Amino acid sequence: MIEAYQRVMNVESPPAPKTPKGFFTDTSLCIGCKACEVACKQWNQLPADGYRLSGDSYDNTGRFSATTWRHVEFVEQAKANSRRDGQRWLMMSDVCKHCANAACLEACPTGSLIRTEYGTVYVQQDICNGCGFCVPACPFGVIDRAPKHGTFEPGTAHKCTLCYDRLRDDMTPACAKACPTASIQFGDVEELQARARRRLGELRTRGESRAQLYGMPENEEAREVGPLHAFFLLLDKPAVYNLPEVPRLPRKSMAQRYAWSGAVAIGAAVLSALVFGRRG
Amino acid sequence: MAEANLSPSPSGGYYNYPVIRRPVWTWEIPVYFWLGGIAGGAYLTSSAAGLFGDDDDRRATGGGFYIAAGALLPCAPLLIADLGRPDRFHFMLRIFKPLSPMNLGAWTLAGFTPMAVARAMAQAGGEARLPMLLSLLSRLVPSRLLELSGSVFGLVLAGYTGVLLGATNVPLWAKSKLLPGLFTASAVSAGAAAVSWSAERSASDRTLAKLATVETAGTLGELGLAFGYIRQSGRAARPLMARPYALPFWGGAVGLGGIVPLVLRLAARGGSNRTKRRLGTVAAACTIIGSLALRWSIFEAGKKSSEDQQASMEMATPKE
Repeated sequence: MIEAYQRVMNVESPPAPKTPKGFFTDTSLCIGCKACEVACKQWNQLPADGYRLSGDSYDNTGRFSATTWRHVEFVEQAKANSRRDGQRWLMMSDVCKHCANAACLEACPTGSLIRTEYGTVYVQQDICNGCGFCVPACPFGVIDRAPKHGTFEPGTAHKCTLCYDRLRDDMTPACAKACPTASIQFGDVEELQARARRRLGELRTRGESRAQLYGMPENEEAREVGPLHAFFLLLDKPAVYNLPEVPRLPRKSMAQRYAWSGAVAIGAAVLSALVFGRRG
Repeated sequence: MAEANLSPSPSGGYYNYPVIRRPVWTWEIPVYFWLGGIAGGAYLTSSAAGLFGDDDDRRATGGGFYIAAGALLPCAPLLIADLGRPDRFHFMLRIFKPLSPMNLGAWTLAGFTPMAVARAMAQAGGEARLPMLLSLLSRLVPSRLLELSGSVFGLVLAGYTGVLLGATNVPLWAKSKLLPGLFTASAVSAGAAAVSWSAERSASDRTLAKLATVETAGTLGELGLAFGYIRQSGRAARPLMARPYALPFWGGAVGLGGIVPLVLRLAARGGSNRTKRRLGTVAAACTIIGSLALRWSIFEAGKKSSEDQQASMEMATPKE
Protein backbone atom coordinates (compact mmCIF):
# COMPACT_ATOMS: atom_id res chain seq x y z
CA MET A 1 0.00 0.00 0.00
CA ILE A 2 2.66 2.51 1.09
CA GLU A 3 4.93 1.27 -1.65
CA ALA A 4 2.25 1.78 -4.26
CA TYR A 5 1.60 5.29 -2.91
CA GLN A 6 5.30 6.13 -3.05
CA ARG A 7 5.52 4.86 -6.62
CA VAL A 8 2.50 6.84 -7.76
CA MET A 9 3.54 10.00 -5.92
CA ASN A 10 7.14 9.63 -7.04
CA VAL A 11 8.42 9.68 -3.43
CA GLU A 12 12.18 9.31 -3.23
CA SER A 13 14.12 8.57 -0.06
CA PRO A 14 16.41 11.47 0.90
CA PRO A 15 20.10 11.16 -0.01
CA ALA A 16 22.45 9.87 2.70
CA PRO A 17 24.06 12.66 4.82
CA LYS A 18 27.54 13.77 3.75
CA THR A 19 30.24 15.70 5.58
CA PRO A 20 28.82 19.15 6.44
CA LYS A 21 30.05 21.81 4.04
CA GLY A 22 30.31 25.53 4.61
CA PHE A 23 32.14 28.81 4.19
CA PHE A 24 34.81 30.41 6.33
CA THR A 25 34.90 34.08 5.34
CA ASP A 26 38.10 35.68 6.58
CA THR A 27 37.35 39.39 6.37
CA SER A 28 40.98 40.32 7.07
CA LEU A 29 41.76 39.12 3.55
CA CYS A 30 38.82 40.79 1.78
CA ILE A 31 39.79 43.54 -0.65
CA GLY A 32 36.22 44.48 -1.62
CA CYS A 33 36.51 43.45 -5.28
CA LYS A 34 32.93 42.04 -5.33
CA ALA A 35 34.00 39.18 -7.59
CA CYS A 36 31.93 36.93 -5.25
CA GLU A 37 28.79 39.01 -5.84
CA VAL A 38 29.28 38.84 -9.59
CA ALA A 39 30.15 35.15 -9.66
CA CYS A 40 27.06 34.38 -7.56
CA LYS A 41 24.80 36.36 -9.86
CA GLN A 42 26.33 34.78 -12.94
CA TRP A 43 26.20 31.16 -11.82
CA ASN A 44 22.73 31.41 -10.30
CA GLN A 45 21.42 33.55 -13.19
CA LEU A 46 20.23 36.32 -10.88
CA PRO A 47 19.21 39.57 -12.58
CA ALA A 48 20.99 42.86 -11.87
CA ASP A 49 19.53 45.16 -9.21
CA GLY A 50 19.87 48.52 -10.99
CA TYR A 51 22.49 51.25 -10.88
CA ARG A 52 21.63 53.10 -7.69
CA LEU A 53 24.59 54.83 -5.97
CA SER A 54 24.11 54.61 -2.22
CA GLY A 55 26.77 57.02 -1.01
CA ASP A 56 27.71 54.44 1.63
CA SER A 57 31.37 53.96 0.74
CA TYR A 58 31.75 51.53 -2.15
CA ASP A 59 28.69 49.53 -1.12
CA ASN A 60 26.05 50.06 -3.78
CA THR A 61 24.44 46.70 -3.10
CA GLY A 62 23.17 47.67 0.34
CA ARG A 63 21.59 44.48 1.57
CA PHE A 64 20.47 41.00 0.64
CA SER A 65 17.43 40.47 -1.54
CA ALA A 66 15.79 37.68 -3.50
CA THR A 67 18.35 38.36 -6.23
CA THR A 68 21.39 39.25 -4.07
CA TRP A 69 22.86 36.29 -2.18
CA ARG A 70 26.37 37.64 -1.57
CA HIS A 71 26.87 41.18 -0.31
CA VAL A 72 30.19 42.97 0.24
CA GLU A 73 30.13 45.52 3.07
CA PHE A 74 32.50 48.49 3.27
CA VAL A 75 32.95 49.91 6.76
CA GLU A 76 34.87 53.18 6.77
CA GLN A 77 36.20 53.76 10.24
CA ALA A 78 37.52 57.29 10.00
CA LYS A 79 38.03 59.88 12.67
CA ALA A 80 38.37 63.51 11.75
CA ASN A 81 41.56 65.26 12.87
CA SER A 82 43.24 62.13 14.01
CA ARG A 83 46.38 60.29 13.05
CA ARG A 84 46.16 57.79 10.24
CA ASP A 85 46.62 54.71 12.38
CA GLY A 86 43.20 55.18 13.97
CA GLN A 87 41.55 54.79 10.60
CA ARG A 88 40.50 51.51 9.00
CA TRP A 89 38.56 50.36 6.00
CA LEU A 90 36.89 47.06 6.79
CA MET A 91 35.44 44.88 4.06
CA MET A 92 33.33 41.80 4.48
CA SER A 93 31.56 39.49 2.10
CA ASP A 94 28.32 38.56 3.84
CA VAL A 95 26.21 35.51 2.96
CA CYS A 96 23.46 33.22 4.29
CA LYS A 97 24.82 31.64 7.49
CA HIS A 98 23.22 28.20 6.94
CA CYS A 99 22.47 28.06 10.70
CA ALA A 100 22.46 24.73 12.52
CA ASN A 101 19.04 25.76 13.92
CA ALA A 102 17.65 27.79 11.05
CA ALA A 103 14.75 30.13 11.86
CA CYS A 104 13.61 30.20 8.21
CA LEU A 105 13.52 26.41 8.02
CA GLU A 106 11.53 26.12 11.24
CA ALA A 107 9.07 28.79 10.13
CA CYS A 108 8.41 27.24 6.71
CA PRO A 109 4.85 25.79 6.73
CA THR A 110 5.13 23.82 3.49
CA GLY A 111 8.41 21.98 4.04
CA SER A 112 9.93 23.82 1.10
CA LEU A 113 12.93 24.85 3.20
CA ILE A 114 14.99 21.77 3.97
CA ARG A 115 18.35 20.75 5.36
CA THR A 116 20.36 19.14 2.58
CA GLU A 117 22.72 16.19 2.79
CA TYR A 118 25.57 18.75 3.10
CA GLY A 119 24.03 20.28 6.22
CA THR A 120 23.05 23.44 4.37
CA VAL A 121 19.64 25.16 4.24
CA TYR A 122 17.92 25.08 0.86
CA VAL A 123 14.65 26.43 -0.61
CA GLN A 124 12.92 23.93 -2.90
CA GLN A 125 11.55 26.23 -5.57
CA ASP A 126 8.87 23.77 -6.67
CA ILE A 127 7.39 23.60 -3.14
CA CYS A 128 7.58 27.22 -1.92
CA ASN A 129 4.16 28.90 -2.09
CA GLY A 130 5.47 32.32 -1.15
CA CYS A 131 3.82 32.60 2.27
CA GLY A 132 6.60 34.98 3.32
CA PHE A 133 6.98 33.67 6.89
CA CYS A 134 10.72 32.94 6.50
CA VAL A 135 11.42 36.59 5.57
CA PRO A 136 10.90 38.23 9.00
CA ALA A 137 11.89 35.01 10.81
CA CYS A 138 15.54 35.18 9.72
CA PRO A 139 17.55 37.06 12.39
CA PHE A 140 20.14 38.10 9.77
CA GLY A 141 17.79 39.56 7.13
CA VAL A 142 18.98 37.11 4.49
CA ILE A 143 16.02 35.39 2.85
CA ASP A 144 13.53 37.37 0.78
CA ARG A 145 10.49 36.80 -1.40
CA ALA A 146 10.83 37.77 -5.05
CA PRO A 147 8.23 40.37 -6.13
CA LYS A 148 4.93 38.75 -7.12
CA HIS A 149 4.78 40.54 -10.45
CA GLY A 150 8.49 40.56 -11.24
CA THR A 151 10.32 38.66 -13.93
CA PHE A 152 12.57 36.57 -11.66
CA GLU A 153 10.86 33.51 -10.13
CA PRO A 154 7.82 35.57 -9.06
CA GLY A 155 6.49 35.16 -5.56
CA THR A 156 8.82 32.54 -4.07
CA ALA A 157 11.56 32.82 -1.42
CA HIS A 158 15.23 32.94 -2.37
CA LYS A 159 18.62 32.94 -0.74
CA CYS A 160 22.10 31.40 -1.05
CA THR A 161 21.91 27.70 -1.87
CA LEU A 162 25.61 27.19 -1.10
CA CYS A 163 25.61 26.27 -4.79
CA TYR A 164 23.79 23.01 -4.13
CA ASP A 165 23.93 22.18 -7.83
CA ARG A 166 27.71 22.62 -7.88
CA LEU A 167 28.20 20.62 -4.66
CA ARG A 168 26.40 17.67 -6.25
CA ASP A 169 29.15 17.66 -8.90
CA ASP A 170 31.96 18.09 -6.36
CA MET A 171 32.56 21.66 -7.44
CA THR A 172 33.40 24.65 -5.25
CA PRO A 173 30.60 27.25 -4.88
CA ALA A 174 30.93 30.08 -7.40
CA CYS A 175 31.78 32.83 -4.89
CA ALA A 176 34.59 30.89 -3.22
CA LYS A 177 35.93 29.88 -6.63
CA ALA A 178 36.01 33.50 -7.78
CA CYS A 179 37.54 35.00 -4.61
CA PRO A 180 41.08 36.14 -5.58
CA THR A 181 42.44 36.44 -2.01
CA ALA A 182 40.98 33.31 -0.39
CA SER A 183 38.89 35.50 1.88
CA ILE A 184 36.01 33.13 1.11
CA GLN A 185 37.10 29.59 1.87
CA PHE A 186 34.90 26.59 1.16
CA GLY A 187 35.22 23.13 2.66
CA ASP A 188 34.27 20.73 5.44
CA VAL A 189 32.91 22.78 8.35
CA GLU A 190 35.09 21.07 10.99
CA GLU A 191 38.25 21.59 9.04
CA LEU A 192 37.35 25.22 8.32
CA GLN A 193 36.71 25.80 12.02
CA ALA A 194 40.20 24.53 12.89
CA ARG A 195 41.65 26.74 10.19
CA ALA A 196 39.72 29.74 11.54
CA ARG A 197 41.08 29.19 15.07
CA ARG A 198 44.66 29.04 13.75
CA ARG A 199 44.13 32.20 11.73
CA LEU A 200 42.68 34.07 14.70
CA GLY A 201 45.72 33.14 16.81
CA GLU A 202 47.98 34.37 14.05
CA LEU A 203 46.23 37.73 13.77
CA ARG A 204 46.13 38.18 17.55
CA THR A 205 49.91 37.68 17.78
CA ARG A 206 50.31 40.28 15.08
CA GLY A 207 48.45 42.76 17.24
CA GLU A 208 44.93 42.64 15.74
CA SER A 209 43.45 42.78 19.22
CA ARG A 210 39.85 43.27 18.07
CA ALA A 211 39.83 40.30 15.70
CA GLN A 212 37.20 37.68 16.60
CA LEU A 213 35.41 34.72 15.12
CA TYR A 214 31.64 34.88 14.54
CA GLY A 215 29.45 31.78 14.45
CA MET A 216 31.72 29.16 16.06
CA PRO A 217 30.06 26.51 18.26
CA GLU A 218 31.54 27.97 21.48
CA ASN A 219 30.54 31.56 20.70
CA GLU A 220 27.68 33.54 22.21
CA GLU A 221 26.02 33.94 18.80
CA ALA A 222 25.56 30.17 18.55
CA ARG A 223 23.46 30.09 21.72
CA GLU A 224 20.10 30.01 19.93
CA VAL A 225 20.71 29.49 16.21
CA GLY A 226 23.55 27.02 16.77
CA PRO A 227 26.91 27.02 15.02
CA LEU A 228 26.86 28.75 11.65
CA HIS A 229 27.86 26.73 8.59
CA ALA A 230 29.01 29.99 7.05
CA PHE A 231 31.04 31.72 9.73
CA PHE A 232 33.36 34.72 9.79
CA LEU A 233 36.57 36.17 11.08
CA LEU A 234 35.76 39.80 11.92
CA LEU A 235 38.11 42.66 12.73
CA ASP A 236 35.62 44.43 15.01
CA LYS A 237 32.46 43.86 17.05
CA PRO A 238 29.68 42.03 15.14
CA ALA A 239 27.38 45.08 15.34
CA VAL A 240 29.83 47.04 13.15
CA TYR A 241 28.95 44.60 10.35
CA ASN A 242 25.22 44.68 11.24
CA LEU A 243 25.50 41.19 12.72
CA PRO A 244 23.37 40.60 15.86
CA GLU A 245 25.26 39.75 19.04
CA VAL A 246 22.95 36.85 19.90
CA PRO A 247 20.75 36.10 16.87
CA ARG A 248 17.32 35.02 18.12
CA LEU A 249 15.66 31.73 17.21
CA PRO A 250 11.89 32.34 17.42
CA ARG A 251 11.20 28.76 18.55
CA LYS A 252 12.94 29.44 21.89
CA SER A 253 10.15 31.68 23.19
CA MET A 254 7.24 30.03 21.39
CA ALA A 255 6.05 27.91 24.36
CA GLN A 256 5.74 31.04 26.51
CA ARG A 257 3.72 32.75 23.80
CA TYR A 258 1.36 29.79 23.47
CA ALA A 259 1.08 29.76 27.26
CA TRP A 260 -0.16 33.38 27.29
CA SER A 261 -2.68 32.66 24.57
CA GLY A 262 -3.76 29.45 26.33
CA ALA A 263 -4.10 31.14 29.72
CA VAL A 264 -6.38 33.84 28.32
CA ALA A 265 -8.34 31.26 26.29
CA ILE A 266 -8.95 29.02 29.32
CA GLY A 267 -9.88 32.06 31.37
CA ALA A 268 -12.38 33.12 28.72
CA ALA A 269 -13.90 29.63 28.44
CA VAL A 270 -14.30 29.23 32.21
CA LEU A 271 -15.65 32.73 32.63
CA SER A 272 -18.25 32.41 29.88
CA ALA A 273 -19.34 29.01 31.21
CA LEU A 274 -19.79 30.51 34.68
CA VAL A 275 -21.60 33.58 33.38
CA PHE A 276 -24.12 31.57 31.38
CA GLY A 277 -24.37 28.78 33.93
CA ARG A 278 -25.37 31.09 36.76
CA ARG A 279 -28.99 30.47 37.77
CA GLY A 280 -31.24 32.75 39.70
CA MET B 1 43.16 56.43 22.94
CA ALA B 2 39.54 56.44 24.00
CA GLU B 3 37.18 53.96 22.33
CA ALA B 4 35.35 56.29 20.01
CA ASN B 5 32.43 55.24 17.86
CA LEU B 6 34.20 54.30 14.66
CA SER B 7 31.15 52.98 12.90
CA PRO B 8 29.49 54.75 9.97
CA SER B 9 26.13 54.76 11.79
CA PRO B 10 25.32 56.69 14.99
CA SER B 11 23.75 53.55 16.47
CA GLY B 12 26.96 51.58 15.99
CA GLY B 13 25.60 49.42 13.15
CA TYR B 14 26.21 49.35 9.41
CA TYR B 15 25.06 52.71 8.02
CA ASN B 16 21.30 52.80 8.46
CA TYR B 17 20.57 49.41 6.99
CA PRO B 18 18.03 47.40 8.99
CA VAL B 19 19.27 44.13 10.48
CA ILE B 20 16.24 42.13 9.36
CA ARG B 21 14.05 42.22 6.30
CA ARG B 22 10.67 43.93 6.16
CA PRO B 23 7.71 41.54 6.21
CA VAL B 24 6.11 41.18 2.78
CA TRP B 25 2.56 40.60 4.03
CA THR B 26 -0.18 43.06 3.10
CA TRP B 27 -3.62 44.22 4.38
CA GLU B 28 -5.25 40.80 3.88
CA ILE B 29 -3.43 39.48 6.95
CA PRO B 30 -4.74 41.88 9.66
CA VAL B 31 -8.24 41.62 8.18
CA TYR B 32 -7.96 37.83 8.44
CA PHE B 33 -6.68 38.11 12.04
CA TRP B 34 -9.72 40.24 12.84
CA LEU B 35 -12.29 37.97 11.16
CA GLY B 36 -10.70 34.83 12.62
CA GLY B 37 -10.77 36.43 16.06
CA ILE B 38 -14.44 37.39 15.78
CA ALA B 39 -15.31 33.91 14.52
CA GLY B 40 -13.49 32.24 17.41
CA GLY B 41 -14.90 34.59 20.01
CA ALA B 42 -18.48 34.46 18.70
CA TYR B 43 -18.39 30.67 18.45
CA LEU B 44 -17.10 30.37 22.01
CA THR B 45 -19.75 32.74 23.35
CA SER B 46 -22.65 31.02 21.59
CA SER B 47 -21.34 27.60 22.58
CA ALA B 48 -21.05 28.62 26.22
CA ALA B 49 -24.62 29.94 26.05
CA GLY B 50 -25.77 26.73 24.38
CA LEU B 51 -23.97 24.36 26.72
CA PHE B 52 -24.40 26.13 30.04
CA GLY B 53 -27.13 28.71 29.58
CA ASP B 54 -30.90 28.48 29.92
CA ASP B 55 -33.41 28.26 27.07
CA ASP B 56 -33.52 32.04 26.70
CA ASP B 57 -29.77 32.25 26.30
CA ARG B 58 -29.67 29.40 23.81
CA ARG B 59 -32.42 30.81 21.62
CA ALA B 60 -31.06 34.34 21.54
CA THR B 61 -27.40 33.57 20.91
CA GLY B 62 -27.78 31.23 17.92
CA GLY B 63 -26.81 34.13 15.68
CA GLY B 64 -23.23 33.72 16.91
CA PHE B 65 -22.93 30.54 14.86
CA TYR B 66 -23.98 32.39 11.70
CA ILE B 67 -21.47 35.12 12.50
CA ALA B 68 -18.68 32.58 13.05
CA ALA B 69 -19.39 30.80 9.76
CA GLY B 70 -19.81 34.06 7.88
CA ALA B 71 -16.58 35.53 9.26
CA LEU B 72 -14.65 32.36 8.46
CA LEU B 73 -15.68 32.06 4.83
CA PRO B 74 -13.55 34.98 3.54
CA CYS B 75 -10.55 33.89 5.66
CA ALA B 76 -9.02 31.29 3.37
CA PRO B 77 -9.45 33.47 0.24
CA LEU B 78 -7.75 36.39 2.05
CA LEU B 79 -4.80 34.21 3.04
CA ILE B 80 -4.51 32.74 -0.43
CA ALA B 81 -4.53 36.21 -2.00
CA ASP B 82 -1.52 37.19 0.13
CA LEU B 83 0.60 34.23 -0.99
CA GLY B 84 3.42 34.78 -3.46
CA ARG B 85 2.11 31.76 -5.37
CA PRO B 86 -1.65 31.57 -4.68
CA ASP B 87 -1.94 28.56 -7.03
CA ARG B 88 0.08 26.55 -4.50
CA PHE B 89 -2.14 27.35 -1.48
CA HIS B 90 -2.83 23.67 -0.78
CA PHE B 91 0.90 23.08 -0.13
CA MET B 92 0.13 24.49 3.34
CA LEU B 93 -1.48 21.16 4.16
CA ARG B 94 1.04 18.87 2.43
CA ILE B 95 2.72 18.31 5.82
CA PHE B 96 1.70 18.60 9.47
CA LYS B 97 4.31 20.75 11.21
CA PRO B 98 3.01 22.36 14.42
CA LEU B 99 6.51 23.82 14.98
CA SER B 100 5.53 26.36 12.34
CA PRO B 101 2.64 28.47 13.71
CA MET B 102 1.57 29.14 10.14
CA ASN B 103 1.19 25.44 9.40
CA LEU B 104 -0.70 24.96 12.68
CA GLY B 105 -2.93 27.89 11.77
CA ALA B 106 -3.67 26.51 8.31
CA TRP B 107 -4.76 23.20 9.84
CA THR B 108 -6.81 24.97 12.51
CA LEU B 109 -8.59 27.08 9.89
CA ALA B 110 -9.14 24.00 7.73
CA GLY B 111 -10.66 22.21 10.72
CA PHE B 112 -12.67 25.05 12.22
CA THR B 113 -14.32 26.30 9.02
CA PRO B 114 -16.33 23.09 8.31
CA MET B 115 -17.21 22.80 12.01
CA ALA B 116 -18.58 26.33 12.11
CA VAL B 117 -20.44 25.89 8.81
CA ALA B 118 -21.98 22.61 10.00
CA ARG B 119 -23.02 24.16 13.31
CA ALA B 120 -24.55 27.14 11.48
CA MET B 121 -26.44 24.66 9.25
CA ALA B 122 -27.80 22.91 12.33
CA GLN B 123 -28.86 26.30 13.68
CA ALA B 124 -30.63 27.18 10.43
CA GLY B 125 -32.31 23.77 10.39
CA GLY B 126 -33.47 24.22 13.97
CA GLU B 127 -34.93 27.62 13.11
CA ALA B 128 -36.68 26.07 10.07
CA ARG B 129 -34.81 28.26 7.63
CA LEU B 130 -33.60 25.47 5.37
CA PRO B 131 -35.28 23.65 2.48
CA MET B 132 -36.57 20.13 3.24
CA LEU B 133 -33.56 18.07 2.23
CA LEU B 134 -30.94 20.28 3.89
CA SER B 135 -33.10 20.49 6.95
CA LEU B 136 -33.10 16.71 7.29
CA LEU B 137 -29.37 16.66 6.74
CA SER B 138 -28.82 19.34 9.37
CA ARG B 139 -30.44 17.08 11.99
CA LEU B 140 -27.49 14.74 11.67
CA VAL B 141 -25.09 17.42 12.88
CA PRO B 142 -23.79 16.59 16.38
CA SER B 143 -24.29 20.12 17.70
CA ARG B 144 -23.11 19.59 21.28
CA LEU B 145 -19.90 17.88 20.18
CA LEU B 146 -19.24 20.62 17.63
CA GLU B 147 -19.78 23.30 20.24
CA LEU B 148 -17.09 21.76 22.45
CA SER B 149 -14.52 20.96 19.75
CA GLY B 150 -15.24 24.12 17.76
CA SER B 151 -14.66 26.29 20.82
CA VAL B 152 -11.20 24.78 21.22
CA PHE B 153 -10.40 25.32 17.53
CA GLY B 154 -11.83 28.83 17.66
CA LEU B 155 -9.70 29.82 20.62
CA VAL B 156 -6.58 28.42 18.93
CA LEU B 157 -7.47 30.38 15.79
CA ALA B 158 -7.92 33.55 17.84
CA GLY B 159 -4.58 33.21 19.65
CA TYR B 160 -2.12 31.55 17.27
CA THR B 161 -1.99 34.71 15.16
CA GLY B 162 -0.19 36.47 18.01
CA VAL B 163 2.20 33.53 18.32
CA LEU B 164 2.83 33.69 14.56
CA LEU B 165 3.75 37.37 14.65
CA GLY B 166 5.88 36.68 17.74
CA ALA B 167 7.70 33.85 15.97
CA THR B 168 9.59 36.39 13.85
CA ASN B 169 12.45 38.78 14.58
CA VAL B 170 10.33 41.92 14.12
CA PRO B 171 10.95 43.96 17.30
CA LEU B 172 7.37 45.18 17.83
CA TRP B 173 5.92 41.70 17.31
CA ALA B 174 8.50 39.64 19.15
CA LYS B 175 9.95 41.70 22.02
CA SER B 176 6.97 41.22 24.34
CA LYS B 177 5.45 37.78 24.79
CA LEU B 178 1.99 39.15 25.64
CA LEU B 179 0.77 39.64 22.06
CA PRO B 180 -0.95 36.19 21.79
CA GLY B 181 -2.82 36.87 25.05
CA LEU B 182 -3.77 40.33 23.83
CA PHE B 183 -5.15 38.96 20.54
CA THR B 184 -7.10 36.23 22.35
CA ALA B 185 -8.67 38.69 24.81
CA SER B 186 -9.58 41.03 21.98
CA ALA B 187 -11.13 38.12 20.05
CA VAL B 188 -13.30 37.18 23.04
CA SER B 189 -14.57 40.73 23.55
CA ALA B 190 -15.18 41.29 19.82
CA GLY B 191 -16.85 37.88 19.44
CA ALA B 192 -19.14 38.46 22.41
CA ALA B 193 -19.88 41.94 21.07
CA ALA B 194 -20.83 40.47 17.68
CA VAL B 195 -23.20 38.00 19.37
CA SER B 196 -24.85 40.67 21.51
CA TRP B 197 -25.17 42.89 18.44
CA SER B 198 -26.95 40.09 16.57
CA ALA B 199 -29.12 39.24 19.58
CA GLU B 200 -30.02 42.82 20.36
CA ARG B 201 -33.64 42.54 19.17
CA SER B 202 -34.53 39.04 20.27
CA ALA B 203 -32.66 38.53 23.55
CA SER B 204 -34.02 38.99 27.04
CA ASP B 205 -32.45 41.63 29.27
CA ARG B 206 -30.81 38.90 31.31
CA THR B 207 -29.16 37.29 28.29
CA LEU B 208 -27.93 40.66 27.08
CA ALA B 209 -26.47 41.35 30.52
CA LYS B 210 -24.62 38.02 30.43
CA LEU B 211 -23.21 38.80 26.99
CA ALA B 212 -22.18 42.23 28.21
CA THR B 213 -20.35 40.62 31.14
CA VAL B 214 -18.30 38.38 28.81
CA GLU B 215 -17.57 41.29 26.49
CA THR B 216 -16.54 43.61 29.33
CA ALA B 217 -14.29 40.96 30.87
CA GLY B 218 -12.59 40.54 27.49
CA THR B 219 -12.19 44.29 27.12
CA LEU B 220 -10.68 44.64 30.59
CA GLY B 221 -8.23 41.84 29.86
CA GLU B 222 -7.43 43.41 26.51
CA LEU B 223 -6.68 46.81 28.05
CA GLY B 224 -4.49 45.31 30.77
CA LEU B 225 -2.55 43.18 28.31
CA ALA B 226 -2.20 46.10 25.88
CA PHE B 227 -0.52 48.24 28.51
CA GLY B 228 1.73 45.38 29.58
CA TYR B 229 2.59 44.76 25.93
CA ILE B 230 3.56 48.40 25.33
CA ARG B 231 5.62 48.53 28.53
CA GLN B 232 7.52 45.36 27.72
CA SER B 233 8.15 46.38 24.12
CA GLY B 234 10.10 49.51 25.09
CA ARG B 235 11.94 51.01 22.14
CA ALA B 236 10.31 48.49 19.80
CA ALA B 237 6.91 50.16 20.42
CA ARG B 238 8.06 53.55 19.08
CA PRO B 239 6.13 53.23 15.78
CA LEU B 240 2.92 52.97 17.85
CA MET B 241 3.72 56.26 19.57
CA ALA B 242 4.05 58.38 16.44
CA ARG B 243 2.17 59.13 13.26
CA PRO B 244 0.59 57.39 11.43
CA TYR B 245 -0.01 54.47 13.80
CA ALA B 246 -0.59 56.32 17.10
CA LEU B 247 -4.12 57.34 16.14
CA PRO B 248 -5.41 53.88 15.06
CA PHE B 249 -3.72 52.26 18.06
CA TRP B 250 -4.44 54.69 20.91
CA GLY B 251 -7.57 56.24 19.45
CA GLY B 252 -8.95 53.17 17.68
CA ALA B 253 -7.87 50.07 19.58
CA VAL B 254 -7.46 51.45 23.11
CA GLY B 255 -9.93 54.36 23.04
CA LEU B 256 -12.77 53.32 20.75
CA GLY B 257 -12.32 49.58 21.27
CA GLY B 258 -11.57 49.58 24.99
CA ILE B 259 -12.37 52.70 27.00
CA VAL B 260 -15.48 53.88 25.09
CA PRO B 261 -17.37 50.54 25.48
CA LEU B 262 -16.48 50.43 29.17
CA VAL B 263 -17.73 53.97 29.71
CA LEU B 264 -20.92 53.27 27.73
CA ARG B 265 -21.69 50.12 29.71
CA LEU B 266 -21.05 52.01 32.91
CA ALA B 267 -23.25 54.91 31.83
CA ALA B 268 -26.07 52.52 30.83
CA ARG B 269 -26.19 50.97 34.29
CA GLY B 270 -28.65 53.38 35.86
CA GLY B 271 -30.71 53.91 32.69
CA SER B 272 -33.88 52.28 31.46
CA ASN B 273 -33.79 48.99 29.60
CA ARG B 274 -34.20 50.82 26.31
CA THR B 275 -31.18 53.04 26.95
CA LYS B 276 -29.24 49.96 28.02
CA ARG B 277 -30.01 48.24 24.75
CA ARG B 278 -29.13 51.26 22.67
CA LEU B 279 -25.87 52.03 24.42
CA GLY B 280 -25.03 48.32 24.46
CA THR B 281 -25.34 48.14 20.69
CA VAL B 282 -23.08 51.15 20.27
CA ALA B 283 -20.57 49.64 22.72
CA ALA B 284 -20.59 46.36 20.78
CA ALA B 285 -19.96 48.14 17.49
CA CYS B 286 -17.07 50.09 19.04
CA THR B 287 -15.52 46.89 20.39
CA ILE B 288 -15.68 45.22 16.98
CA ILE B 289 -14.12 48.19 15.17
CA GLY B 290 -11.46 48.53 17.88
CA SER B 291 -10.49 44.91 17.41
CA LEU B 292 -9.70 45.60 13.74
CA ALA B 293 -7.79 48.77 14.67
CA LEU B 294 -5.73 46.78 17.18
CA ARG B 295 -4.62 44.18 14.67
CA TRP B 296 -4.13 46.59 11.78
CA SER B 297 -2.03 49.08 13.74
CA ILE B 298 0.19 46.45 15.37
CA PHE B 299 0.62 44.70 12.02
CA GLU B 300 1.57 47.84 10.07
CA ALA B 301 3.63 49.40 12.87
CA GLY B 302 5.53 46.09 13.05
CA LYS B 303 6.66 46.53 9.46
CA LYS B 304 7.99 49.95 10.41
CA SER B 305 9.76 48.56 13.48
CA SER B 306 11.50 45.96 11.29
CA GLU B 307 13.50 48.87 9.86
CA ASP B 308 14.71 49.98 13.30
CA GLN B 309 18.34 48.84 13.34
CA GLN B 310 18.86 49.72 16.98
CA ALA B 311 15.69 47.96 18.19
CA SER B 312 16.84 44.80 16.38
CA MET B 313 20.29 45.05 17.93
CA GLU B 314 18.84 45.59 21.42
CA MET B 315 16.62 42.54 21.04
CA ALA B 316 19.68 40.46 20.13
CA THR B 317 21.82 41.47 23.11
CA PRO B 318 22.52 38.76 25.68
CA LYS B 319 20.28 38.82 28.73
CA GLU B 320 21.98 38.97 32.13
